[in-house]
Amino acid sequence: MPQPTPGAAYRPALAIALGAIAGSLCRYFLGAWLNQSFSLDPPYSTLIVNVSGCFLMGILATLSLDDAIRLHPEMRLLLLTGFLGSYTTFSSYELDSAKLLQQKGLTADLTYWLGSVMLGFIALRLGIILTEWILSRFASQDQCLEDIHSN
Amino acid sequence: MANNLLLLIAVAAGSIFGALGRYYITLLAVEKMSRDFPFGTLVVNLSGAFLIGLCSVILKLIKADPALYSLVIPGFLASYTTFSTYTLDTFTLFKLSRYQQALLYGLGSPLLGFLAVELGLNLGQFLF
Repeated sequence: MPQPTPGAAYRPALAIALGAIAGSLCRYFLGAWLNQSFSLDPPYSTLIVNVSGCFLMGILATLSLDDAIRLHPEMRLLLLTGFLGSYTTFSSYELDSAKLLQQKGLTADLTYWLGSVMLGFIALRLGIILTEWILSRFASQDQCLEDIHSN
Repeated sequence: MANNLLLLIAVAAGSIFGALGRYYITLLAVEKMSRDFPFGTLVVNLSGAFLIGLCSVILKLIKADPALYSLVIPGFLASYTTFSTYTLDTFTLFKLSRYQQALLYGLGSPLLGFLAVELGLNLGQFLF
């Protein structure tokens, strides 16, 4: 009977923790940079973080389901659950919405609130389409090479 | 600089617990509730929205140290909740042609999340 590697039980948790540190710090630094360089405040920096995170999610989720790539389950946890899960944030998005409603009124709030969801969805779709297109190009190249070799 | 470093450590430390909390709640939801509907992400996002409302009021009232604020808000709660998984879940439901569930989840999450954060904010102001 194969013996499990010592500490194997902690590997998923470790993968998520490592991804989470990188994800949250990226969000923090990007927010600080956007604030310093373009004086963008939380609603906009949160929007940029969430939309870019959805785009990356489209890419990574498609890659992780592709047969040719076969992302290791723990790598999937590190990138998807750890990094992207922590990089993007739902709670700050809702808190920003509530603050916008108080400070700027209903129109600004609704624009941000629905806009985040719509743009996030579009960004995810773009990430998926882009990745599927690239993967199909690689697949057709492989097919060409196989055809050449078999002839 | 040392102060800045402390804030970064606080964000990183908070995010570890946030992400692990999200992971284990999602696992529990798959096990106890359903594989077919993303209850885990929903529970995580709604409870996180409630907590960020409540905690932001409390932290402001006690004039919390920036390190404590960084630990709780951009660290723990921001990492605990997730926007990218929510979008992916909605897309997956659409792709499986479960349009009703996709709309319910896709629109219900931000709507209930908004109510949750307002509930948290108002409860905080009411209690303290």
